[in-house]
Amino acid sequence: MDDLLADFVAETREMLEAVEGELVAWEADPTDRGRLDAIFRFVHTVKGNCGFFDFPQLERLSHAAESALADVRAGRRIADRALVSAILAIIDRITVLANAIEAGEPLDDSGEALLIASLDADAMDTSIQPVAPGTDVNLANAIASAATPRSVRLPVELLDRVMSGVSDMVLARNDLAHRLREAGNAPALDGPFERLSTILTDMREAVTRMRMQRIEQLYHALPRLVRDLSAELNKQVVVDFEGANVELDREMIDMIRDPITHLIRNAIDHGIELPAQRLAKGKRETGLLSITSRQSGNTIIMTIADDGAGLNYDRIGAKAVAVGLVTQLELDAMTPAHIANLIFEPGLSTADHVTGVSGRGVGMDVVRSNIEKLGGRITVATAAGEGTRFNLELPLTLSIISALTVSISGQHFAIPHSFVEEIAHGRSASVAFAQIGDSDLVTFRGKRVACLTLHSVLDVDPRRAGPDQRLVLIRLGGGGIFALAVDHIHDQEDLVIKPLSPQIMAAGCYAGTTLLDNGRPILMLDIPAIAERYGLHANTVRRGMADEIDQVPAAPDASRALITFTDFDGRQRALGLNLVARLDQVGCDAFDVDGDRVQIVIDDMIFDVAAQLPTPLPQGQIKVLRLSDGTSEIAYPVAELGETITYDGQITPLKDATGIEGVALIGGNPVPILDGFVLFANQRSSRRKPNGLICALPHNDEWAARILRPLIEAAGYQIAESPATEADITLQLAESAELGTAPDHCIILHADPDHEPLGPNHVYRYDRAAILGALDAATRRKAS
Amino acid sequence: MNDLLVMVEVNGRSAALRAADVHSVIEADRIFPVPRAPRHVVGLTAMRSQSLTVIDARIALGAEAPEEPGERAVVVEVDGHSYALLVDRVNDVAEALSDPVPIAGGCGVHWDHVAYGMVETSHGPSLVIDPKKLIAGPERLAA
Repeated sequence: MDDLLADFVAETREMLEAVEGELVAWEADPTDRGRLDAIFRFVHTVKGNCGFFDFPQLERLSHAAESALADVRAGRRIADRALVSAILAIIDRITVLANAIEAGEPLDDSGEALLIASLDADAMDTSIQPVAPGTDVNLANAIASAATPRSVRLPVELLDRVMSGVSDMVLARNDLAHRLREAGNAPALDGPFERLSTILTDMREAVTRMRMQRIEQLYHALPRLVRDLSAELNKQVVVDFEGANVELDREMIDMIRDPITHLIRNAIDHGIELPAQRLAKGKRETGLLSITSRQSGNTIIMTIADDGAGLNYDRIGAKAVAVGLVTQLELDAMTPAHIANLIFEPGLSTADHVTGVSGRGVGMDVVRSNIEKLGGRITVATAAGEGTRFNLELPLTLSIISALTVSISGQHFAIPHSFVEEIAHGRSASVAFAQIGDSDLVTFRGKRVACLTLHSVLDVDPRRAGPDQRLVLIRLGGGGIFALAVDHIHDQEDLVIKPLSPQIMAAGCYAGTTLLDNGRPILMLDIPAIAERYGLHANTVRRGMADEIDQVPAAPDASRALITFTDFDGRQRALGLNLVARLDQVGCDAFDVDGDRVQIVIDDMIFDVAAQLPTPLPQGQIKVLRLSDGTSEIAYPVAELGETITYDGQITPLKDATGIEGVALIGGNPVPILDGFVLFANQRSSRRKPNGLICALPHNDEWAARILRPLIEAAGYQIAESPATEADITLQLAESAELGTAPDHCIILHADPDHEPLGPNHVYRYDRAAILGALDAATRRKAS
Repeated sequence: MNDLLVMVEVNGRSAALRAADVHSVIEADRIFPVPRAPRHVVGLTAMRSQSLTVIDARIALGAEAPEEPGERAVVVEVDGHSYALLVDRVNDVAEALSDPVPIAGGCGVHWDHVAYGMVETSHGPSLVIDPKKLIAGPERLAA
């Protein structure tokens, strides 16, 4: 019976979540019969289920709501605001009761009569209609429509047990692999062992997926929140969702609920203006709140954007100076983007008056620290009068964190990858150490940042930073950078992070623990806490500002991050690291070879393969680079991975080599750098000599920076480094350009190959020949 | 009350843990230190796919630095976290012949702090230790 009861509560709750959104949509359009039916089915199912148990209150409530809705369905009654509110109140009450049933608490019947009466408040006919015949059919429908696609409900502990079982198996496998190697060549065992390994890898991945849930679960509750808030504040807001099918760790969904709620409260309270103010500014009186989620590699990017008044730089700046966060001098030197991000600093709340909605003692600093605790980042962008956009970058799962392992004095530690900006060798020519009093500073490619040694941070053989160490450049949420010096940098691994015991948390420098594949426990460093201890968060702002000052007069940074690898033809090649979205390892059976067409399946997605593969394919696991241009991804299998390096030497362009951007000198060897554009466009062409013209590219666009820029540069044009630079030719993306009015010196790039033929300067963005042709034409017009 | 007890030796004294509190007894051979942790937290060790916080019961009970490395550890779970308690020796499992009773006049500040009380066993009288208090450590006592 207890199981039945638990199922009842769980089913009720699931339906509740689904029905919340329906309710608000119904209120917006009471004539929407589909919504009405969905809500009716919900209360009807609750009532039906109550029959099996003895919950008179629940039954009375759901019966009353059902009757009222039945009247509406039968056209005997109009769904007005009062009715919707009364139904909402009853559904809230059902939630409370369901929670109480689950907790085994006694059910009080406070206010039930009132709730039921409010349903009838303006209905003259208070008699309760008998349930119409055909109820059974309705019930069957209700159950059918409430049922999710074939699924079972599992306790999270069971999932965790399966997960730790699989982790055990991985450790056992590694042990076995070690012993097999020691025992020498045993071909009879290698085959089955390989198979076991592959199965285990698959299983591990499947178990990880078991923890995932669609972000819909989070979205469901939001229309109701927006409705209640905007009603309370006399504002009109519609909310628009995108990316409901993005999957996220179950626990992560629970943990971002509060920060997201807070951001929405803020957007409605402080962002979106009152309808009259909006009209006065020439906006639509209804504000738009859009919430989007998308997955990019191992990260989920969520944006919460409103079209309200935007952040007030002057007020934020004045407040920051007033509370002593920055000095007036520093403020004057800051860019607007930096000022906007000051709202995440502790002690800064620009709300002059605290309303009932926001300003409940939870500030943006708490939102940021909660997001950072999950290994995520948050930033804000705003335009005065046009709106504010919060960007959240979240790791795909809570339990698996991509981390860099480092060591000092033989002890290993992990640093969450989300904080790692770059790594460098202390002896590298681009690194210079300086000592100021008791603290170390390091100058890295023109930027001077604070440098901590992990030795001193952890009190293990404390020492000063020096060229014998490796540097990990850490970027904090606020945008500030500091360097952490360690003895060795080992590996980048996906770690299954477990919570720490309070005794170890007390040390104040660790965020979690895990076992490495070799069975060795490792601690993950709590980077924000360490930065806090050394006062680097406060410095964040100043450092960020200093960066900007340094960068303005300096020439654009010439160095590039490259990744080297060995192709199947045995040659060493390199690629720009910014093209690499992630590294994967797949079995050879994931390849689909059909003549010239080669594709590969990774994580249930099909990728085009950009590299030449040997025939037959090598057996066993193959390493694959997944390349991304910001919108699409292709796969590049390699024989061996090399290293990631920062290359600040000369890249010599080759005259006739196609698909090669140029040759770099790495470790004394010439290494060809593949041309990202060619890889993506899969078209061939040759390089041209510089012609002295300046091209302006779409600003702050990933595709433009990664893919378009090398092409334009290869064609011999110079790139305008800032939007302020006067350009000879301007390239624009179709979605941000004003269609039909493109002047002669503009080239409009379309994402859709079948775009409308608007003129010769409108081209498909992967049509290399057309882009170059349009550039030529623009150049000729310029010359004439 | 006929509780089963795991009999151990800490700082040369006989002590006991309720068998119900004890998950297992392991050889704590590889301990990985945790810098900046409280003194009685000597590190982490791996048990199957789990990492355990290793608590040196001898330091928690007032010893300065134990002269011999404890070779065995008792695994307990407190508030959802697993701990390995390093002791001098794990002796035996015995039956409690009485309920824990307070000791008149106490048995030293560290022991008073962690003990449920004294019980009679077939191996003679012994103090029953509350793992939760032991894990909290001597610093907690001073506070």
